[in-house]
Amino acid sequence: MDKQNLPEPFMDFENLQEGLTAETVAPFKQHISDLLHARDLIFEQKRDALAAAAVGSMPYPPISAEARELIESGALCLLAEGATPYHPRYVAPDYAKILREGSPFLELQPAQNLFDATTSLLTAYKYFPAGGLPVFIGRLDELLEPYIDSVSPETARQVLKSFWLLVDRLNPSGFVHADLGPAASKTGTLLLDVDRELGTITNVTLRYDPQHTPQEFALKAVSNALAVTKPYFLNHPAMAADWGKDYVIASCYNALPLKGGIYTLVRLNLKKAAEMAGNDPERFLDEILPQISKRWTEVIASRARYIIEDVRWFEDNFWIEEGLLDKSKFSAYAGVFGLAEGVNHFFQNKAGYGHDPAANRLAERITTRIHEVLEDNPVIYCEGTGGKACYHAQVGITSDLETTPATRIPSGEEPELYEHILTEAPTHKWINGGISTILEFDQTAAQNPAAVLDIIQGAFKAGIRNLSIGSANSEFVRVTGYLIRRADLEAHKAEKALRHSSAALGSGVMENHPNHLHRITRKV
Amino acid sequence: MNNNGMNEPLGIVNHILKKSFVDGPGNRAVIFLQGCNFHCLYCHNPYTINHCTACGLCVETCPQHALTLGKDKIFWNEDICVECDECIRVCPESASPRTRTYTPAELWQEVARIGPFITGISVSGGEPSLQVPFLARFFQLVKENSDLTTLIETNGFAGQQAYTDMLPWLDMAMVDLKCSDPDKHLELTGQPLDTVLESIRFFAAQGKLQQVQQVIAPAYTDQAADMQRTAGLLAGIDPSIHLRLLRFRPHGASGPAAQWQSPTDERMDALVETARSNGLTSVERSL
Repeated sequence: MDKQNLPEPFMDFENLQEGLTAETVAPFKQHISDLLHARDLIFEQKRDALAAAAVGSMPYPPISAEARELIESGALCLLAEGATPYHPRYVAPDYAKILREGSPFLELQPAQNLFDATTSLLTAYKYFPAGGLPVFIGRLDELLEPYIDSVSPETARQVLKSFWLLVDRLNPSGFVHADLGPAASKTGTLLLDVDRELGTITNVTLRYDPQHTPQEFALKAVSNALAVTKPYFLNHPAMAADWGKDYVIASCYNALPLKGGIYTLVRLNLKKAAEMAGNDPERFLDEILPQISKRWTEVIASRARYIIEDVRWFEDNFWIEEGLLDKSKFSAYAGVFGLAEGVNHFFQNKAGYGHDPAANRLAERITTRIHEVLEDNPVIYCEGTGGKACYHAQVGITSDLETTPATRIPSGEEPELYEHILTEAPTHKWINGGISTILEFDQTAAQNPAAVLDIIQGAFKAGIRNLSIGSANSEFVRVTGYLIRRADLEAHKAEKALRHSSAALGSGVMENHPNHLHRITRKV
Repeated sequence: MNNNGMNEPLGIVNHILKKSFVDGPGNRAVIFLQGCNFHCLYCHNPYTINHCTACGLCVETCPQHALTLGKDKIFWNEDICVECDECIRVCPESASPRTRTYTPAELWQEVARIGPFITGISVSGGEPSLQVPFLARFFQLVKENSDLTTLIETNGFAGQQAYTDMLPWLDMAMVDLKCSDPDKHLELTGQPLDTVLESIRFFAAQGKLQQVQQVIAPAYTDQAADMQRTAGLLAGIDPSIHLRLLRFRPHGASGPAAQWQSPTDERMDALVETARSNGLTSVERSL
């Protein structure tokens, strides 16, 4: 297989069958040299990139020729996880247990007060066992509320402010994610306050339940979202119906069980998949998707197996030994993206997804059919989601040139607000592993956050699981699912080194691929 | 159209806006009625003042051929209209022929579809008090079929008895106090001030006065003395009346007002302060 046939985000030297070969040593060395000499990466970023290059030099675990073809064609994408995953992609540790009981490995005592609790959390984040970043930092209001009265209100505010600053400065990425709600709390209110004040990059989700989240707390969250594009508004009743109450949101907007993890995210490019069906949507639904799903789940299983059976990740791992993670709650994501292009492939020269009722119906049928074929193909080690891969809508990466993230209508082509919501809502129905719709408001919204809350509630009634709210005035730019600071984006273009790795990821998306980006200048 | 066999009052609607963040609490659908009894010098939508007389002049002028003349009515093909407003320019009445006539049930059907996304329905103008029988029945349907709140944005000129029929189904009223000086009010709107104040008193007494609005326009409402009088009048009724000051903007204004200046931020802030120092506890201004 020629290296140049591999789609991005593979590196030039990667070879799925053989790993590093005599022919690919030269491009490998060049890649390493480029990293060593990069002017716009700081030490940590170089170290991480060097580690990724090492993994990329390995051969892929054995898979069928058909599965390998789908990867090589780009229909299935491994999202730069590397040929040989040596850790899960996401985990959701039980931080409450660390606060309650301490951690022998981390040499932490049970927390007695707010100082102890925040120190223990920051310590635990440092040792986060997946993906190089603590992509889940806890349901923070629940975690810290038991300690909030251990100090005076003013001290509590100062401690949370320092904590929130350190979360960002030690883990500078829009993929680092905290959860709040559905109940209001002193901690939740303080965290919303300091998040707005500090303007850090850390991502936040409010698990919103119109029946149980107090209006005042929800309105505060809306005001924050309009100012700093977070928190996300998650349809907690809909998510709890699928997951029970012990689920979390990590990274962009990814759902997984508390104490669980996600081994891998293997995503299906629906544009490329649709093209395999010629111009016959029924063939796509009846033949192509069932065929692909066999290989898709095979790839997912091969990666889970490698982590468990080959690398033996669960053994000699203090997170497991101390009961902070539980193997029975792990699963893997089967992600989809480019639904818009997949649908529009069958509506050439017509209005298409978001504008043609027939296209919208096909979008709904495709997302439903994928749920069915994933149900038909059990995946080993996915006990956390009933032995089936977890269905996820993936937000896209810099190298996606011709596809729209997840199940979204292409940015700039969205119909009027309610139609936009009602078109995307049916595609949220089965995708309980993470999906979001982006809504952006003009400056009148800041004076009337209750109006935005009306629309959020209407969207939830329509079946939307997760909403990202923003306004044209925000200092953040939400690229697909993660955040970057507007100022960082400008600096990245000027090739300055930055703490935020997500800015580098977002920059290419901003400049080259408007399909990914909800353009900030456009008013809804 | 009126297929329930009953003699339902008909409403003449200029436009339905499905999403508004500036016409009352929460997100609201706004129904703009056709027809107004004020002729404000700075009117921003003068085509809603008069009614179409079906003279047919616009039918020949429409570049899209979107208008046709019926027996006593212009028919408007919304699908091919590009809203170039040529019809309004040639109209001797300056009235829009692009209106729709609804029964209360038809209008409710139109709004009910977006019910999950809104807190309520605001009826604006034109002037709602000119279509009270229609609105009373429409609001009754809203209340019988939903939890949505109902609101009118009225100029108050009709006086209290005009609103009585819709009152059981009406949650809130926003009343425009165009100008608190009787002479200047007459000059600005073409109508006297006294019944406007009567309406403000009436809605305040009913506990249904959502707010009083005043456009801050040069020579009529932009001086400290103007605001002292306005605030004094309102505070005399109830100091807690919410007063919202709207900045005049020449864009879209008709006639000589298109040349008027927009008040500055400093002027707007100073007037808010004046209103507060003259007895009103709740005053704000637009952006």
